[in-house]
Amino acid sequence: MKKSWIVLIVIAVVVIISYSYVKGVYNKMVLLDENVSASWAQVENVYQRRADLIPNLVATVKGYASHEKETLTQVIEARAKATSVNITPANLNAASIQQFQQAQAGLSSALSKLMVVVERYPELKANQNFLELQAQLEGTENRIAVERKKFNQSAQGYNTYIRFFPKNMFANMFGFEKKAYFEAEKGAEKVPKVEF
Amino acid sequence: MKKLKIKVLTIVIFLLSSIIVGAQEIPNPMSPPRLVNDFAGFLSSNETASLEQQLRQFNNETSTQIVIVIVKSLDGADKAMYATELAEKWGIGQKGKDNGLLILVKPNYNNEKGEVFIATGYGLEGVVPDAIAKRIVENEILPNFKQGRNYQGLQAAVNTLMSLTKGEFTADEYRKKTKRQSGRSLFPIFFILFIIIISSIGGGRRGRHHTVGGSLPFWIAMGMMGSGSRGSSGSFGNFSSGGGGFGGFGGGSFGGGGAGGSW
Repeated sequence: MKKSWIVLIVIAVVVIISYSYVKGVYNKMVLLDENVSASWAQVENVYQRRADLIPNLVATVKGYASHEKETLTQVIEARAKATSVNITPANLNAASIQQFQQAQAGLSSALSKLMVVVERYPELKANQNFLELQAQLEGTENRIAVERKKFNQSAQGYNTYIRFFPKNMFANMFGFEKKAYFEAEKGAEKVPKVEF
Repeated sequence: MKKLKIKVLTIVIFLLSSIIVGAQEIPNPMSPPRLVNDFAGFLSSNETASLEQQLRQFNNETSTQIVIVIVKSLDGADKAMYATELAEKWGIGQKGKDNGLLILVKPNYNNEKGEVFIATGYGLEGVVPDAIAKRIVENEILPNFKQGRNYQGLQAAVNTLMSLTKGEFTADEYRKKTKRQSGRSLFPIFFILFIIIISSIGGGRRGRHHTVGGSLPFWIAMGMMGSGSRGSSGSFGNFSSGGGGFGGFGGGSFGGGGAGGSW
């Protein structure tokens, strides 16, 4: 009689301890996972911000440089392509991130071409509206760089957490998978240097 | 045991993230903390004191932190990234409000180009949009700096920034803005239990995780005693302390907003 009580108490203690451990680990994984989703949302946000600037920019440039139709069309097309790629946090993986990155890189290079063309139009460069758009565009490129870095940091925090032993076993059990990173550009999508 | 693990983990994350952050050296804030940090001898001590006094007063009235940092070199980094990283690292502005502003200056010593950048915290991107920051740099800072009037340039910029951000944040505003941040903390025990059961059943079916599948009754029993749990939630310390003039930076965050120029 006494013995079985002790056994029961020991079992109960073990169960409670392991329960609170697993609960802590699980909740932390959820928290970190949410963090990654939130920083992904920020990344999409800043890219969207850039896309939103473009119609205005194109309209302004058109007013001064109407025969640069080809470059302007390229920008519009690249923008359409870039905004068509949307990734929900649920399907964040290396392939989808790369696809997203490629579409955005297309827009970046179209934009930097446009900025080179613009050099030939001194009147445009003196236009107040254009100057403000240019400042906003520069700021947006900075924001993109910052949010991408923050995304990588939160993905790394999450990955490090779920891959540590013994948490990796729980991560496996609960289906927490490793998150992909933003890869550094191969020089193709360097932040367009907008110097005037 | 668990604490140790968390500690090790934090250290690892910290080390790794510092690698990602980049190679350039971001200086630490001067101690005791102050709002005008002149590492390059750009201003005279009177000028520094005058700006410091104005910025402190503004910080005390509005909690908006305008910080001036003058560095000798950007170590080859882009000024926008350098400014954003420095502001984020120092935690300029209040946590949650993100109402920090940084004026970063690299003087034009040794025939190098001088650089200036105004970085805006997330919370001030609305009142100080990039185009406005650009205008402040182009119209108020650079013309003065070009003629060696360092103090006047900064003073003019500070005046404009103060009048733009005045009234944006007050204590009441703060309460309103932080309210929406709560609401993620309650995670019902039943949900976890549910997940555990589901996943252990799933595991059992696939023939893996035998131990988990086998201990199913344990998990159920445990759910009944569910109250004995003590979840651990990490929270990052917020180091803002009272004090004479300036208590320190509040942990504000920056997203790369702002604009700059060079001379």
